[in-house]
Amino acid sequence: MPNQPPPTRYSAVAQGLHWAIAALIVVQFTLAWSADDLPLGARKLALLARHKSFGMTILMLAVLRLLWRLFNRPPELPPGMTNIERQLARATHGLFYVFLFIMPLTGWMMSSAKNYSVSWFNLFAWPDLIAPDEQAFNLLKAAHDTLSWLLFAVAVLHILAALKHHFWNKDDVLKRMLPFNKSEKRS
Amino acid sequence: MRNLHLAATGAILLCAAAAAAGTAGYSADATQSSLEFVGVQAGAEFKGVFHKFTANVDFAPDALAGSRIDVQIEMNSVDSRDADRDTTMRGKDIFDVAHNPTAHYVTRAITKTASGFSAVGTLTLRGVAKDVPIDFQFVPSAAGAKLTGTARLKRLDFGVGQGDWKSTETIGDGVKINFSLVLKPKT
Repeated sequence: MPNQPPPTRYSAVAQGLHWAIAALIVVQFTLAWSADDLPLGARKLALLARHKSFGMTILMLAVLRLLWRLFNRPPELPPGMTNIERQLARATHGLFYVFLFIMPLTGWMMSSAKNYSVSWFNLFAWPDLIAPDEQAFNLLKAAHDTLSWLLFAVAVLHILAALKHHFWNKDDVLKRMLPFNKSEKRS
Repeated sequence: MRNLHLAATGAILLCAAAAAAGTAGYSADATQSSLEFVGVQAGAEFKGVFHKFTANVDFAPDALAGSRIDVQIEMNSVDSRDADRDTTMRGKDIFDVAHNPTAHYVTRAITKTASGFSAVGTLTLRGVAKDVPIDFQFVPSAAGAKLTGTARLKRLDFGVGQGDWKSTETIGDGVKINFSLVLKPKT
């Protein structure tokens, strides 16, 4: 393995996890924003229940993704990037991994603090992480909200960077994360 | 003064009636007794209690015909460890405490079972009276007795949940009741 050249594309597993999680995050923002506008009622609880189920799904996928990332070398950044650009790219990617864990975990703790245990699509219930506590809930909600905006900002940066690489630099940074694109052969 | 006199006479008569039936009269010690309900939201259980209730029990294992359990619950004392949810539950669509401040349960017939006792009784909740069976254990002690047991009911039988709350998709219909009464002899 150490002597093998780095891959030029992301593996199918890495791509699958990337796009599945990206889609779920979009769903999560939509559900959270819709629920925020509603008063406490059956509809709000239904939306939040789905938000929690998807959140736990993201947490499970994040574990898989981190493990995959630890044991599989990603393609290298294209030559020609400046040092600052490389560091920014690494920081952004690192932050995403932090968000993938901290968002579900703060959400899960919020639910425990408010005594609304989390289930997974009504199939089974997850254990509570902390005891019910209103102050803890308010703190965790503030953290979850603030982190969601930071995640939003980092995601915008990430998308803009991918587009910049594709249309401005005309390198393969975006293409190597896209399926059905075999123009660049895996070496 | 007259009322007090009447009450005292009533109490004496009740004791006399209990003695005639071969049962002993008890009342629950509010500080040590608990009345818990377990509901289901989005596939996960949530627990709450009623802090204020009175229980009067005439009971003897060998005089079941004259035995009786009578519980009066102050619905306003509901506590599910989330103030928002408690406020919602007190509201018109759920417990409607403004019009139905108390719930009442009284047994009609108690029978011996393999593991303890079971009773059929009438629960009056949110203005609707319906039969609810209970299973319980009765353990005499030096200071009185302990009565612990469970019941299961369907909230919609009592109209607990109007409007959107009628849907059982998010809030399940079935509710478990757990009670533990520390009984002191009546003097």
